[in-house]
Amino acid sequence: MAKIKVVHYINQFFAQIGGEEKADYPAEIRVGEVVGPGTAFMASFKDEAEIIATIICGDSYFNENLETAKAQILEMVKEQAPDVFIAGPAFNAGRYGVACGTIAAAVQEELGIPSLTGMYVENPGADMFKNQVYMVSTKNSAAGMRDAVKKMAPLALKLAKGEAIGASCVEGYMPNGVRVNFFEKERGSKRAVDMLIKKLADKPFTTEFPMPDFDRVDPNPAVKDLAHAKIALVTSGGIVPKGNPDHIESSSASHYGEYDIAGVMDLTEETYETAHGGYDPVYANEDADRVLPVDVLRDMEKEGIIGELHHLFYTTTGNGTAVASAKAFADEFSQKLKADGVDAVILTST
Amino acid sequence: MSMQTGYTVITNNPLVYEKFKNSHDVIYREVSYEDILKEARDRIHQGYQLLTHPLSGSVKPNETPYKSMLMSSTKGRMDPASLRLIENAIQACGKFRFKGDQFQSDVYEDFQMIDLTLLESGMSSADVWA
Amino acid sequence: MRLEMGHIYIKDIQFASESKIEDGILYVSEEAVKAVALEDEKIKSVSFDIAKPGESVRITPVKDVIEPRVKVEGRGGIFPGVIAKVDTVGEGKTYALKGMAVVTAGKIVGFQEGIIDMTGPGAEYTPFSKTLNLVMVCEPVDDIKQHDYEKAVRFAGFRVATYIGELARDLTPDETKVYETCGIKEGIEKYPDLPRVAYVQMLQSQGLLHDTYVYGVDAKKIVPTIMSPTEIMDGAIVSGNCVSACDKNPTYVHQNNPVVHDMFEQHGKAFNFVGHIITNENVYLADKMRSSDWTAKLCKMLDLDGVIVSQEGFGNPDTDLIMNCKKIEAEGVKTVIITDEYAGRDGKSQSLADSDPAADAVVTGGNANQVIILPKLDKVIGTLDYVTKIAGASEETLREDGSLEVELQVLTGATNETGFNRLSAR
Repeated sequence: MAKIKVVHYINQFFAQIGGEEKADYPAEIRVGEVVGPGTAFMASFKDEAEIIATIICGDSYFNENLETAKAQILEMVKEQAPDVFIAGPAFNAGRYGVACGTIAAAVQEELGIPSLTGMYVENPGADMFKNQVYMVSTKNSAAGMRDAVKKMAPLALKLAKGEAIGASCVEGYMPNGVRVNFFEKERGSKRAVDMLIKKLADKPFTTEFPMPDFDRVDPNPAVKDLAHAKIALVTSGGIVPKGNPDHIESSSASHYGEYDIAGVMDLTEETYETAHGGYDPVYANEDADRVLPVDVLRDMEKEGIIGELHHLFYTTTGNGTAVASAKAFADEFSQKLKADGVDAVILTST
Repeated sequence: MSMQTGYTVITNNPLVYEKFKNSHDVIYREVSYEDILKEARDRIHQGYQLLTHPLSGSVKPNETPYKSMLMSSTKGRMDPASLRLIENAIQACGKFRFKGDQFQSDVYEDFQMIDLTLLESGMSSADVWA
Repeated sequence: MRLEMGHIYIKDIQFASESKIEDGILYVSEEAVKAVALEDEKIKSVSFDIAKPGESVRITPVKDVIEPRVKVEGRGGIFPGVIAKVDTVGEGKTYALKGMAVVTAGKIVGFQEGIIDMTGPGAEYTPFSKTLNLVMVCEPVDDIKQHDYEKAVRFAGFRVATYIGELARDLTPDETKVYETCGIKEGIEKYPDLPRVAYVQMLQSQGLLHDTYVYGVDAKKIVPTIMSPTEIMDGAIVSGNCVSACDKNPTYVHQNNPVVHDMFEQHGKAFNFVGHIITNENVYLADKMRSSDWTAKLCKMLDLDGVIVSQEGFGNPDTDLIMNCKKIEAEGVKTVIITDEYAGRDGKSQSLADSDPAADAVVTGGNANQVIILPKLDKVIGTLDYVTKIAGASEETLREDGSLEVELQVLTGATNETGFNRLSAR
């Protein structure tokens, strides 16, 4: 049987080109070469698989030239047509982790080649990509290389062969939101008793089913002096200027929009619409004030109920948009709102 | 949950409709399981409360085509607990393969009968208040 | 209360002219057990069969699984309020026939389910592939109502199990285990430094085919109450379920409740096992409110430090589970819950219909939507006619080669929520 073909991605540091000073090293492919951690993978693959090429890219180069670097590397991988693509492991190196996650996800999604990566659970690349590609949980430094390869190599072989992938705790990848059955050593009741004993003793225990992430936010205290407050409008209802100039996606939005409504007294059918694909848009398109109540706030402004309506509004589509993306958007525009002296925000959803 | 003096049956089950149409307040719709849940959701938005669990019974959504629920007959402020239950139930419909149209006719009678008994077990609790 | 459990290991079951147990072999007079089953005039006919582990046999549609037991000393009898007269059980001496079960089967509704495979991949998931099964398939009289038929089959199973259990009355057990709990004051004095824990068991109680009985009382009519954990060993709780077989507790699971047994293992060591609280899973929301208020109240009155809560079923009970967990945690009682999951065939859907951050310690019995191929087996006890109509089965269920493509949902006890199995998910 032919050996499984692997393409391996590493950064400038693991390729022993250099540290931070060499982080702008552009993407290059070394066909037929096994570099750095590749040696450990090769040892672990034995005769089953071989690394046919190693792609090396500086972390700064990758992250600062994201689209170019991604396209270059995808082209390199495509040409090699491997059975599986491995990126990293990146351990706790943040930009390397993001690069590994980005490129592994892209190879899998765009080339249809099964991919995996590995990194420390607190690496920012982990949260960003663990639900998109198999991501092995590693230690927080390169001292954990042996352990990482021990988990990544067999998983890579399974992926290449198209075999069923077992549960995260069995295979060593980070939980990715896909529930997979497996047999534990002890029956459930015994596991429950053991868990209770730990919980009673305030010792750490691991739940077998983490509850969905509840990110509850306590409401701020009420605005005391509304008549002098600067109020901004923010919506996940997808209201955009007619024509959707920034191409905000109708679902799973990747960005948000910031639009100036200085002097706009009313959102009309001719001037505004919704980009949202998750509800019947007829009424929002007819009169976007139904989702983003500019008209009412202008009235209130005039009547002196509120101080003023902020001249910028922020918008995205909440339709299937990842919580992590929504959070990232809000982190960014909240700073802008604060900088602009906004006292309160009306957030409308659909 | 406040005390109820009366209730409305929301159902897509013809057996339930036939049995209670003359003695109870019944809203009957010839729609799917998911759509009858949505009917209930719309009423929750209007301020009616759910009185029975929308996922009563072990026959899964999309496996049985029938669902009956009890709701308050008077409305107040929108009840967030009811809304949470109904939204979770509507979401759960997506987990099960639709096979509500794959059975022989006698099986539908059984589905109707089981839905009726589940509803009646709720009614016997509700009638304590009446 | 102190209960001595004598275990008699059954190595084989054979039909014979006379019913008896000799050298670990159960001999069954078909004629005698038929007569016991047919005592109820609602049952027109019954056929008995034997299924052994490893045999190419599929049993379906399964209604209940029961372990034969006999009460040899102490108050009351097996299945109080159902077969034996009403009397408090859970003390004295009881014998159980280990390694075997009485399995009842028969079509009550057209979409019924419950498969036990004695070999193959399905056998890995159902715990009852490991028991020697005396299977009884009951046919009802014509034009019987489903609830009458359900009751007739339920009782016929208990009568036959009791008849078989009686055969062990004068035997000497192969093994004896003692289960003992103390009174409140005694426990505090005996184990002053141990945390006080209890088991909160949620009982399926939604309506026909979704019912459970406690000393004969329909569990939807109870308010939560406290039992000695030994009472279940004498059949205090029995099953009236037969829909969605994977996460319902057959009577066998009640008798051998694994949480009770595993908590007893730690009683007096890691904690003081104070008692067994039972509650229900009614469809009426105010009932849920009352019952969960009461479980939390009982936990507080018993001055508990921790509990394990087990669920039974899907959907509606998810709400009870979360309400119980939240309210018990709010009383400062540390809680571990046992559930199973409906995460869709691809494992990507939200597993439970309800959730709360208070439920931070969860044990799962696995994803019931997982697809499994059950190969064609040589013999079917019961009928396959209904298999294509059961939950988790679909039109394409019966494949050309005779194999079945189904979800784990159809396998009796596969994702049991008392933690009966090793199956889990991540």
